[in-house]
Formats: sequence, structure tokens, C-alpha cells
Amino acid sequence: MIKTQDIINHIRSLVPGDRKVRIMNVCGSHEHTIAFSGMRSLMPEHIELIPGPGCPVCVCPESDIIHAITLSRRADVILVTYGDMLRVPSKDGSIRAQGRNYKMITSPSEAIRIATANPEKKIVFFSIGFETTTAPTAAILETGVPDNLYILSSHRLTPTIMEVLVKDAEIGIDGFIAPGHVSAIVGSNAWNVFSEIYGIPTVVAGFAADNLMLGIAEILGQLKNGKIRTGNVYAGVVRPEGNIQAQNIMAKFFEVADVNWRGIGYIPESGLELRDEYSARDARKVFGLKEIKEEKIPGCICGKVILGKAYPTDCKLFKRACTPKSPAGPCMVSMEGSCNIWYKTN
Amino acid sequence: MCVGVPMQLVEINYPSGVAEAKGVTRSIGLQLIAEDSLKIGDHVIVHVGFAIEKVDKQRADEIWEALEEVLRMMDEEDSSA
Ligand code: SF4
Ligand code: SF4
Repeated sequence: MIKTQDIINHIRSLVPGDRKVRIMNVCGSHEHTIAFSGMRSLMPEHIELIPGPGCPVCVCPESDIIHAITLSRRADVILVTYGDMLRVPSKDGSIRAQGRNYKMITSPSEAIRIATANPEKKIVFFSIGFETTTAPTAAILETGVPDNLYILSSHRLTPTIMEVLVKDAEIGIDGFIAPGHVSAIVGSNAWNVFSEIYGIPTVVAGFAADNLMLGIAEILGQLKNGKIRTGNVYAGVVRPEGNIQAQNIMAKFFEVADVNWRGIGYIPESGLELRDEYSARDARKVFGLKEIKEEKIPGCICGKVILGKAYPTDCKLFKRACTPKSPAGPCMVSMEGSCNIWYKTN
Repeated sequence: MCVGVPMQLVEINYPSGVAEAKGVTRSIGLQLIAEDSLKIGDHVIVHVGFAIEKVDKQRADEIWEALEEVLRMMDEEDSSA
């Protein structure tokens, strides 16, 4: 076992003296570890660890939340979704405050159970998240779901948003820590585009503090010796090709779509919708849901926080009008949201 | 929602199974992993009730250690807040 202090010393020895290095993580669990372990204060001055779009709750479009509220108010519908989604604010309130027939679930298989137990109702599963939650939703479809279960898909693709970030000079990313479990599904090869096309070292890491620091050391080492490539300090969990079976099942049911990211806007080919063959399961089609124009939350800078252009502490509402108990913006809701994490550690 | 925990398979009825961790058992989906690559005693990482990848015991232990560390850090924050 390598000692933490050794890794820190190693990191110090690799720091370029003349410029800042900005390393972004795109994983709520990574940001969690970084913030709670106090890792930022252990880093040499020149290294900036910036939180990126690691939390799918924060980027879920307001339009879908409003649809979820509206559907839950229908007498013939039970809306089911992950706990965090119930509290996300929208101009029509949150699902918990304004919804009527809704249930929290912790797994897509619970959606099946609820559908089976309530055959006279239409169960709408508001399914959100990155690849780690998309694959489980695809898994229930693969096994077969009851006829009264519909999917409202708000799934997002991690590699696409990372490419948007890389191209934005204002953010100026020098290296990525890639999310461990997303990588287990998509494979570390999915990040090769960053080293090969953009010259940005990308290293897959788990969420243990030591492992994350190893990842940071590897990024700095690559920047120093100029041999930029995809690294993986989470081997044993993540393979270069990823989980092919999971990829195949996802591809069978979902297709890539141009979708909206809350606070950011439309990003081509960055989300997943059900394929046309499965329209009968697609809540958007079955209930005729149309995109609702997003309303800016006055004062909230979540979009900038997600893109690494601002820190939560730059927001005037942070810790004042916006707290985990009464979140004004989406980034304060989930335990993986940057504002929520920073609230507890700053 | 996004946190994956390692669990050990104690029963396989593909495409579902039963897994155990820290004395807690729950039924999980195995669809995302090839049937012929699974056996009882395997460690898998479970996200929202579905195994997404197999890991060896050492990795599983390490991930648990990291999870417990994170939980401990959060507790400290809560009690000092
Ligand atoms: S699912 Fe992946 S990206 Fe999301 S928090 Fe967990 S490890 Fe990070
Ligand atoms: S502190 Fe609240 S209002 Fe400000 S950016 Fe974060 S979530 Fe939005």
C-alpha cells in the first residue's frame, strides 16, 4: 500500500513551477471525497481541482421536472423516481411539494413491483442519470416490463459533456479525472478522444482519497513528460473496452438524442431517449409531452458551477437563500451536487 | 443514487440474484453481466440494485474501506456543524 504522504510528496515534485494546472472531476463521488477529505488544501498552490458536471440531478431539465409533477397529478398515474429528484426546484415547485401521486424508488426493479401491484394505474418511471443508472433501466426493459410501465428518460452521456467542456477555452482544462463506475460501463477507451485529439490527460480513478491522488499524480506526470494518454488507476474494476454486455443492452433500447442540460442549454447527441421501436413504453410519446421553456432561477449560477466556470461560493445565494433544507437551485439538492457538498465542507 | 457498493453473490437465479454486504442481503439484477461469467461468491459492484461489473475481493474490500471513510467524514461534518 502506498502511503498518502508519499503520493502528496510525489505530486509536489511534479508540479510545473510556472503555471496553474486545472484538473476537473466529473463525478459526484469524486467531488465528495475531495471536499470531505480536505484534499484541496493538501494540493500545491498551482493545482486547482475543479468540480464538473458530476451530478445528473443538477443537469436534469426543468421541463422534465414539470412534466413529472403534471403527470403525478393525473388520477390514473403513479410517478416513480429516485429520491433526489423529488426535491429539485422548478418554476412549478418540486415533485414533493406540488406532485400528487408519486413514490420514491431506489432501483428500477421497484418500478416493476409498483406496476405489478397497481395494474389499474399507469406507472411512469422518471429515469435519470448517467451510464450507471441508464444500464439498470435498460436491464429491466431487457427482461420485460409490465404493460402499464412507461419510461420518462432523462439520461445523459458523460463523454459528450466532457467534450463540450474541453472545447471551452474559458474553462481551460488541463486534465480530467474520469468517473470510476461510469468508466466500468463505457470502458476507459471512451476517454481516448481527450488524449488523442485534445492532448488532455484523462485518468480513471476510484473514489478513495488515495486512489484519486494517484490519478492526480498520473495526470501531472503525463503533463511533465509530454506522453499524454488515457490512464487507469482503477484497474480491476474498469477494463479498456468496458462492460460490452451493458453497452449492448443500452444500445438496444436507447438512442442518442440532442437534449437540454439545465443551466447549460442544448447539447447535440448528449442524451438518450427510447428508440422508436419502444414508443409504447415512452412516456414522452404516450402522454404527448412537449418541451417547456426553461426559466432561469434568479441569482442561481448552477450552470456555471457545473461547467467549472464558477465555484459554489461565488453564488450570492449560497448558504443564504440556498441551503440543502431549502434549495433554491438544483445543485444544492443531491448529495452529489457541488453546492450541496460545498455547503457541508466550506 | 450514484454510489456503487460492492456486494457478494450468495444466490443466482439469472437474470436476478441475491447479494450480501455487511450483513445486509438484497435481491439484485444480473442482466448487465454475462450469465456464464457469474458464480456464487463473486463480488460485484451494485448501482441502483443492478450489478454493473465484477471485481475481485481485494478491490471490493478497498471500495468498502473508501465508502466507510466517506461516511465517517460525513458524520464528523454533521456532528461538528
Ligand atoms: S455513478 Fe459514477 S459518476 Fe456518478 S457518482 Fe458514482 S462513480 Fe461518480
Ligand atoms: S448555491 Fe444554490 S442558487 Fe447558488 S448556484 Fe448553487 S444551487 Fe444555484
